[in-house]
Amino acid sequence: MADVLTQQATGWAAAAKTPVRRRSPFMRAAFPYFLVAPAVLYLLGITLYPGLFAIWRSFYNGRFKLEWAGIDNYTHLFTDPDFWASLWNTALLGSITLGLEFVVAMTLAALVYRDPLVRAWRILFLLPMLFMPSAVSFIWKLLFNDGRVVADLLMRAGLLSDNIDWMSNIVLARLMLVTVDLWEWTPFLFIIFVAALQGQDKEIEEAARLDGASWTSIFFNISLPLMQPIIVVALILRGIDIVNMFAPVHIITQGTPGGATETMSYFVYRTSFRQFDFGYASAASVVLLILITVTAQLLVKKHFRSGRE
Amino acid sequence: MALRRSKLGSSILSYAILGAWGLFCLLPILYFLTIAFRPRNEIITPHPIYWPTLTIETWAKIWEDWPIVRYFINSSEAIAGSVFICLLLGIPAAYSLARYSYRFREDIGFYILSTKMMAPAVVAIPLFFLFKNLHLLDTVWALMLVYAAMNLSIVTWIIRSYMLDIPHEIEDAARTDGASDLRILWSIITPMCLPGIITAGVIAAIFAMNEYLLTLIIATREAYPLSVALANFSGGSDGIIYNAIALVGFLAFIPVLILVILIQDHLSRGLTMGAVKG
Repeated sequence: MADVLTQQATGWAAAAKTPVRRRSPFMRAAFPYFLVAPAVLYLLGITLYPGLFAIWRSFYNGRFKLEWAGIDNYTHLFTDPDFWASLWNTALLGSITLGLEFVVAMTLAALVYRDPLVRAWRILFLLPMLFMPSAVSFIWKLLFNDGRVVADLLMRAGLLSDNIDWMSNIVLARLMLVTVDLWEWTPFLFIIFVAALQGQDKEIEEAARLDGASWTSIFFNISLPLMQPIIVVALILRGIDIVNMFAPVHIITQGTPGGATETMSYFVYRTSFRQFDFGYASAASVVLLILITVTAQLLVKKHFRSGRE
Repeated sequence: MALRRSKLGSSILSYAILGAWGLFCLLPILYFLTIAFRPRNEIITPHPIYWPTLTIETWAKIWEDWPIVRYFINSSEAIAGSVFICLLLGIPAAYSLARYSYRFREDIGFYILSTKMMAPAVVAIPLFFLFKNLHLLDTVWALMLVYAAMNLSIVTWIIRSYMLDIPHEIEDAARTDGASDLRILWSIITPMCLPGIITAGVIAAIFAMNEYLLTLIIATREAYPLSVALANFSGGSDGIIYNAIALVGFLAFIPVLILVILIQDHLSRGLTMGAVKG
């Protein structure tokens, strides 16, 4: 018994004697890079390669046999009213949708975060977000167009005298896309805002409350300014998705009427996979890529921080 | 007294707003649910039918016409594989970003994050030709690789945020006991940030399930996952077959609902990649 104990003790002593940092200084310095390298290489492969490919392809025309086109695709692109329309539509739809979603999500979050039933409200409001965007697009395609439910309800409410074709009118068609996105993605901002409000220091609120401040004044003067960094992050993330809006356009409007609902994503898709003009579509991709990279540099670097906080 | 009345009034108003939005969320879902149970002649009608006859007779035909199980398996394989790749690459990367100081760490972290901003439309054409040349078009493998690339940034950042919460003392103690860095990562850090890893995995799975544009381009028949399969439920004179769409829509919805309920307290933190704690 004693022997065993001694043996174990010697074993421990031997283990303790081995130097804690066995690896060479080079290995130690390189180790964090080894950890992060596979992820970075994978992402480079699947983002840098497509970027370079798109740039290269944008200088060529043709489907199978490639012909050098120089900057023809770009000059064509910048004089193409459809391209400018798609940029404008994306900006317009994006800003209206993002603005509405922000207001609705913040209102709901402010009303709900001190409610005892907050968890139930949260699940209820979250439901639309849990459907696939393609399924959501079909829900609304049915409600607006094929099933005529929205028009029927508006007629029953006396707000509308006759059935309307939502696709016939620029404003109505855009309104459809805004509704779809608002319905599905307001929950995204909502749950972030609820968590941010719940996470705030209650003592500041209580102190202001004791000083006689009203809930509205506390909300606008204390809570809202405090959560500004989170609001910015949430809006950036939602903004990225809205700018890439595709499924509802592809499934519901396909750009009609007259391209009024064609987003940038749909423009690239239509010119490439519908009209097979890959060189031209690549030029549009490159322009998009530049726009996105510039925005990313401006926004993300400023508002997200890596490393120890 | 006046105060109490106005408080009561404002709480009625507040519940009215919440209730109205709740109905706006719920009614389309309920209507869509009845679509799955409707006979085909009660879906597209001159005037909508709000109290339809409910039946599951159409399901047999849907089952016969489309390989729904195949679509479900395709989705599951692509999603599971992509989440596995994300975790395999993301956990070490997150550990590196969270725990070591080295040159270019900030830039590397930002680069990983910036791939979140990559528009699917920008990479669609190049990836189409890449997978065409690799003979991976219309395979689950291509979907897996794309979903993994799409989600790697958020997975890395979510897990990194949870790792930052782990006190250094625990690692320092293990290190003095002679544990190697990899061993510390595997046996101590990974189990301790399991909630973060699960959150990241669930969110990556949902985003993969949702992906539409790139999936549409890669999967042309054999590899259809649920998101794109349902967009093809139409048949000649029948037009769009909404009961099949509703059925598949809910088939995908139920597992997502369960997963989200399981991680609901981590959801906002996950969606903001750690910016919100709570």
